[in-house]
Amino acid sequence: MSKKLPLYLILPSLLLALFVISYPLYELINLSLSDVNRFGKIRGFIGIENFTYIFEDPLFIDAALRTVLWTVAVVGGTILFSVPIAVILNTDFHGRGIARTILMLPWAISLPMTAIVWRWSLNGEFGMLNATLMNLGFIETPIVWLAESALAFPVQIGLGILVSIPFTITIFLGGLSSIPQDLYEAAKMDGANIWQQFKRITYPLLRPFINMAIVLNVIYVFNSFPIIWVLTQGGPNNETDILVTYLYKQAFNFGHIGEASAVSLVMFGVLLVFTIFYARMVMKNEK
Amino acid sequence: MKYLSTSLKSLATGVSLAVLGSTLSLSAQAAEEVRFTVAYYSAKTGPYYEALAEKFEKKNPEIDIKIEVVNWDVLNQKLTTDISSNVNADMAIIGTRWLVDYVEQDVAEPLDGLISADLKNRFVPAFLNPGTLNGKVYGLPVAASARAMYYNKDLLDKAGASVPNTWDELADSAAKVSKIDKTYGFGLQGKEVETDVYFYYGMWSEGGSLLNKDGSSSLASDASVKHAKRIQDMIKNGSTQPGVTSYNREDVQNLFKQGRVGMMITAPFLVNQIKDEAPELKYGIAPIPGGVSSATYGVTDSIVLFKNSKHKEAAVKFLDFMFTTEQRAAFSSGEGFLPVLNSVSALPEFADNESVKTFVNLLPQARFAPTIAGWSEVADITSNAVQAIYGGADAKQSFDKAQKRINRVLGK
Amino acid sequence: MALTKKTKRSLWCWLALSPIICVIIFPFAVMFFTAVKPRDEVFTFPPTWLPSRFEWQNYIDMWHATKFGDALFNSLYVSFSATIITLIVAIPAAYALARYHFAAKSSYRLFLLVTQMLSPIVLVVGLFRLVVWLGLIDSVNSLVLIYAGFNIAFAIWMLQNYFQTIPKDLEESSWMEGASFLQGLIKVFLPMAIPAIAVTSMFTFINSWNEFVLALTVLRTEENYTLPIQVYSLVGGRYTVEWHHVMAAALVASLPAAILFSWLQKKLVTGLSSGAVK
Repeated sequence: MSKKLPLYLILPSLLLALFVISYPLYELINLSLSDVNRFGKIRGFIGIENFTYIFEDPLFIDAALRTVLWTVAVVGGTILFSVPIAVILNTDFHGRGIARTILMLPWAISLPMTAIVWRWSLNGEFGMLNATLMNLGFIETPIVWLAESALAFPVQIGLGILVSIPFTITIFLGGLSSIPQDLYEAAKMDGANIWQQFKRITYPLLRPFINMAIVLNVIYVFNSFPIIWVLTQGGPNNETDILVTYLYKQAFNFGHIGEASAVSLVMFGVLLVFTIFYARMVMKNEK
Repeated sequence: MKYLSTSLKSLATGVSLAVLGSTLSLSAQAAEEVRFTVAYYSAKTGPYYEALAEKFEKKNPEIDIKIEVVNWDVLNQKLTTDISSNVNADMAIIGTRWLVDYVEQDVAEPLDGLISADLKNRFVPAFLNPGTLNGKVYGLPVAASARAMYYNKDLLDKAGASVPNTWDELADSAAKVSKIDKTYGFGLQGKEVETDVYFYYGMWSEGGSLLNKDGSSSLASDASVKHAKRIQDMIKNGSTQPGVTSYNREDVQNLFKQGRVGMMITAPFLVNQIKDEAPELKYGIAPIPGGVSSATYGVTDSIVLFKNSKHKEAAVKFLDFMFTTEQRAAFSSGEGFLPVLNSVSALPEFADNESVKTFVNLLPQARFAPTIAGWSEVADITSNAVQAIYGGADAKQSFDKAQKRINRVLGK
Repeated sequence: MALTKKTKRSLWCWLALSPIICVIIFPFAVMFFTAVKPRDEVFTFPPTWLPSRFEWQNYIDMWHATKFGDALFNSLYVSFSATIITLIVAIPAAYALARYHFAAKSSYRLFLLVTQMLSPIVLVVGLFRLVVWLGLIDSVNSLVLIYAGFNIAFAIWMLQNYFQTIPKDLEESSWMEGASFLQGLIKVFLPMAIPAIAVTSMFTFINSWNEFVLALTVLRTEENYTLPIQVYSLVGGRYTVEWHHVMAAALVASLPAAILFSWLQKKLVTGLSSGAVK
């Protein structure tokens, strides 16, 4: 067999991926170091001025901090909810197939659609959420969900959790199904209760799957745009802006192409750090 | 790399029969193609321009007008990115407030040499003005509107409130109307496009202005703070709808159409919407409340011709056809805008129309968005400050912060 | 009557899942009931779930008013083409990574990891310029190309992990029997790999079906819009929003994927977990 065969086999994928990713990256580096007008014309090299501009912008700093909060809250919440849900879905009960299908559903609607439907449901006057809560007697007067960031941002985090759950429980279910049933039988013989079984068997064996779910979700959530964009566009008063919405506004609403490119590269750097973690984890799993 | 890109292109094209089909049909037409980007006003916009293009093409078979309808919230973004890559249409409808950016970056073509004096004279001068920069006409007004106060007659009567002439009277009437169950006195817009403008009305009436003489921002003036505090009080005592910062203009208009709001300020096109959706509603239109001075906000949208267009003459020919009485009357009444042509304003449909008259009478005191570069970012900063204030933040502090930011954008 | 152990357990399980199930079903209910309301009942206060009469005509009106068919076709076209291109380049690469040891192997995997980290939004400004350079602004083909590029890493990774579980001797023995390299792969290896290919295609398809930012930036004219953009354009930047149409469109747009998911739900679990950690 020719030694070059594997190289020929990977070549098409390499070319396509390189093309789609490296050209934009080259453009971004170029733009981020240039004075660019709103129509994208490069007027000259300005060094790191675009970077100092964004780091001096309090809104950028706020958005960066909020991105950390957003990522930690959504990923943390997702894991916290997904583990028990996956454990339940892994037990044998009537209608499990239906329950699994229902829990997959949020995955099937695209994020912008989900966000649009919730934007309508959360409408203070005409939204069905208030109507339902009022009918059930949970609240007396309508709540205007998206008027203040103190309420809007948690709602967005909740929505982020909701749409991340299906993917996460899918990973966990795969992990749970690989745990041999006789381990539990043996534990029961030793008189371990359900919580002890979870702590001693389920959790340690699920651990690698949890790690993987955390890393993958961090990437997705860090990059997630539609929920915040559709619900509040980062408002009111920029108080729900995260890096991606800040980036999009700089680039396409205000025509600050150079500054936006700088934001992109900063995000790229952060993602690279994630990659290193992730690569380590993958390598470890392979051993 | 070039080879790669072409082969990828052909790969992508090869997969698609649909694309193949469209390329074939394109090459079959030899007519000169003029691309025209049109802003989406309502469901009627697309069909109106398509029909217009068809009528024109019948008379001028050598020209093919291609209409591209784009939503407002992405229009400026699409145009700027298209221009940056030289793939823009030949002409486009833009918000006149963006025009200065286009002129400054030298992408808009001055029209004086291209259009006939006759065409230029057809326009209402007040609307042609905002499209004129440095003495040259760059934009022809295609839609014009002003803002006025709509009030719900039944609600005001029921509450025993009068139609306000000043902002203090408005606060008073709003408080009275709010006492009626499930209704709010004053519909206050607090989100998305024109959130800043909704604040300017009151700021202007207090004698405030957007810019100082030297071109720097005067947002943090005493007039602004005074009006901000008044609005904060109104929000606090329930004279507005709750959660104002989640209401865009469309949301407030919906409340008004439902008869749930006593007063709101908006554009003439609400008249058409009420006619369609809430014909029973008894409402009136009055000037925006005044104070030290009185003002309304005037808005025009303009057609610009791009410098890089290779079909300028054909485009102008189409403009000449488009800005005729018959075509424009259909547009103004269909979309609910004020007539931009003298001949159309003279038509009985507009000249004898009470609501149109109210708006037209306000025009002499109309203020337009200042022609400064980066205006959309300034408006965004202002809107954000206004949102913070509506949410309870200190007015002076918020405006000071915003003013600093604006001045940074303006380079002052 | 004593409940069997399993019935009791089922009750507890359903009870524990009920809050999250309510939250999941809620938006579907909102879509459904808003979509069948007569236009003038969409804005009633206080809002009610049930309309005075079911206005099924809304769906038909929506289909025409929103040019739903065009958007559906575009979405299908983009998602199918992107999936096929992804598979065409990912299957050989995954095979190479699963079967051979070669010098560049680990650096290639690292490269794939980096590409997997990125989403179109981070590169959006650069991607836009790429599309311009290709002359593909307002063309759905630009999306096909970019979606394929972004899905390669995940696809290769999933496929490779599965390919490793297929015993090598099968295709090797077919080569011994005189089949050519390609014949052995296509006739013996690929049929064994179908489950993994199915799951991978599904992921690629869903990712492309749902993508928003890039489509929002690149597409210009309504006839080229994909479904998410078409539905979003009904909400953003319009003077009036026809919520009953929007909800009808969102519901119809979500159905194909929802059906696909419930159908393939079991395969997804095995496919993803074998790809994710093994």
